[in-house]
Amino acid sequence: MLKLALKDLKLFVSEKRGLLLTFLLPIALITMFSLAFGGSGKKGESRPMTLVVADDDRTAESRRVAQELDSLKEFEVQVTSLDTGMNMVKKGDKAAILVLHKGLEDSVKAGASPPIEFMYDAAREAEIGILQGSLMGSLMGIVGMGSMEKSVVERFKKKNPDLDSAQLENIRQQIKENFSPEASEEQMEESQSFIKSTALVAEEETSPGLVQAVAGTAIMMLLFSVTSMGASLLDEKQEGTLKKLLYSPISPGSILTGKMLFTNIVCILQLTVMFLYSWLVFGLNIAQNIPALILMIIATAYACSSFGMFLAAVARTRAQVQGMSTLIILVMSCLGGSMIPSFLMPLWMQKVAVISVNYWGIQGFYDIFWRMLPVGDPTFLTRVLVLMAIGTGLNLVAMRLMKRNLLAIA
Amino acid sequence: MHFWKMIAVENLKKSYEGVEALKGISFNIREGEFFGLLGPNGAGKTTTISIMSTIVAPDSGKVSIGGKDIATNAMDCKRMIGVVPQEIALYNDLCAFDNLMFWGGLYDVPKAELKKRIQETLELFGLSDRQHDKVKTYSGGMKRRINIASALLHKPKVLFMDEPTVGIDPQSRNLIFEVVQKLHREGMTIVYTTHYMEEAERFCDRIGIIDKGEIIAQGTLDELKSSSKMKECISISFADGSSEDHHTSNVRSDLSKIVLRYNEAGRDIAHIDIKKVNLETIFLSLTGKQLRD
Ligand SMILES: Nc1ncnc2c1ncn2[C@@H]1O[C@H](COP(=O)(O)OP(=O)(O)O)[C@@H](O)[C@H]1O
Ligand SMILES: [Mg+2]
Repeated sequence: MLKLALKDLKLFVSEKRGLLLTFLLPIALITMFSLAFGGSGKKGESRPMTLVVADDDRTAESRRVAQELDSLKEFEVQVTSLDTGMNMVKKGDKAAILVLHKGLEDSVKAGASPPIEFMYDAAREAEIGILQGSLMGSLMGIVGMGSMEKSVVERFKKKNPDLDSAQLENIRQQIKENFSPEASEEQMEESQSFIKSTALVAEEETSPGLVQAVAGTAIMMLLFSVTSMGASLLDEKQEGTLKKLLYSPISPGSILTGKMLFTNIVCILQLTVMFLYSWLVFGLNIAQNIPALILMIIATAYACSSFGMFLAAVARTRAQVQGMSTLIILVMSCLGGSMIPSFLMPLWMQKVAVISVNYWGIQGFYDIFWRMLPVGDPTFLTRVLVLMAIGTGLNLVAMRLMKRNLLAIA
Repeated sequence: MHFWKMIAVENLKKSYEGVEALKGISFNIREGEFFGLLGPNGAGKTTTISIMSTIVAPDSGKVSIGGKDIATNAMDCKRMIGVVPQEIALYNDLCAFDNLMFWGGLYDVPKAELKKRIQETLELFGLSDRQHDKVKTYSGGMKRRINIASALLHKPKVLFMDEPTVGIDPQSRNLIFEVVQKLHREGMTIVYTTHYMEEAERFCDRIGIIDKGEIIAQGTLDELKSSSKMKECISISFADGSSEDHHTSNVRSDLSKIVLRYNEAGRDIAHIDIKKVNLETIFLSLTGKQLRD
């Protein structure tokens, strides 16, 4: 089995054109997409977005929120009244505004969730995706901590009415320490339940554009290369080497497993090279969660390689594989967010996206580099599991079909 | 230990979508025997080899190799046999050495021993100096030689060769003949299919003549000759342009008698042609057609 995989690797290396397609083409595409999405791992290099804040509270606290947002590199804040702001959106001048409702200061003091609303033009969902994403995170940092701290203490009080004030102060202190902006990802994750926010952006942020460019392109290109590797089985049938393999005391199962092993190895190599390249050239912080990255690379490689095997199992010739694969890969990549980020797509498309390998892979890489989920996070692990399940399912079907068609010489 | 039946083939039948490729063929091959399967294209030679090498299942019938039924002991049988397929099957983008390392590596041969055998085999086939060139740069004859070499590295007890000399240069062909005869001398049991009757006549201890999925005759060359109703033919052409054929089973004694008789009759003989019985003529007499067409 290992011998079979090694032989395939040797053949793979001997073919310059294939190597070029596997490594250089994806690198070129990643570079292009990264530049197009303005992606760079370094924070602050992106242009600030204009953010209209409609201040209906007009208190010291609401002014503080607006100021703090303005002080962030991402945003240039423009303060207006609620009416003017709403008119801006209605007239189409702005895609969205951030409304600080009356009672903001009071609720912050009381530790309740602050009446902040994100009003947007539904027709321009695409534009506001990134704005909304980073806004939530920033807001969390500005108003979230104080109110969260209070509500945690409130909860403690309710649950343990007999706590004395010294103990409460102790708890308050601990929360302050633990939930500081440098708080661990796990704690940030916990804090999500106290504030309603869609995406939580941690402090050391990587541009989503870069993650998109790397993950999206890498997975799409992976699918193209596995197609060719899967098709090499069909070549072997045509060349007679498959038949010759069957003469030897190697079980048919091992022949197929050897091919899978080879495909997996190349996929892992390809993804690794892509991420190393993004690190070297675009400063993607690959070191921040290496266990999760390794897990995700393996899961993605496994799922993608099974796709190659599956195509080889349903097709009869390399030409057929290529014909089918181009269409399937383009559709999957489009749906799954390889070309356009998923969160910019209409909701129905995001739902359909779950059928594509790309979606799970890309989301997994977003989890690592953007959402900063830890390796043990259930959301992240679910994506790994889904990829593994897709891989196993397709591999099993492929094996079955191949034993019936491909390996049947008669 | 000598098997009287190193290979026993019993009543093999195989149909492909209505086409009867094998209609029930049987033969036995002794250990160390060189058995030729002679027949025209489409006779069923490759199908027979494929079944014997376990990669095609027969519709009915049995094959045993070294006393083991291939249906129940496929893996054991596979270890005993080496197969040289009719089509050249090599990895063109690997060099000859890498190809041999790969194909030989599929059997349990220790790596060092395998390397040694590869060098010996390359030497045998006269390809030592080209061993690190990619196979795709080889001529047809060289590829054929590597194709054969790749089946010998595990020193199989039994070697199946399916038309190993089709479409190659005379030099490669002679080299292959030499190797095959050497292997035979060393005691390997060989099944050799061909549609060249010269090859069958030249090497084979015993020959099975196969046509349309049936073995129509088998035995040693002498047995085939004597059992056939074919007689040798003395063909006499006269100076006046006419000619006469005389069929006989003993050319030597009959020739002088015939010549004497014509002399006495005063006829002027211009030319005498003796058509000997060979596999070609036997095949012709059995099937009414040429072996090669
Ligand atoms: N895979 C196959 N599918 C259909 N028919 C086949 C197949 N293999 C062989 N045949 C048919 O079986 C017959 C015997 O073929 P084969 O064994 O290849 O003959 P040979 O090797 O003597 O030339 C031929 O009529 C051929 O067309
Ligand atoms: Mg044949």
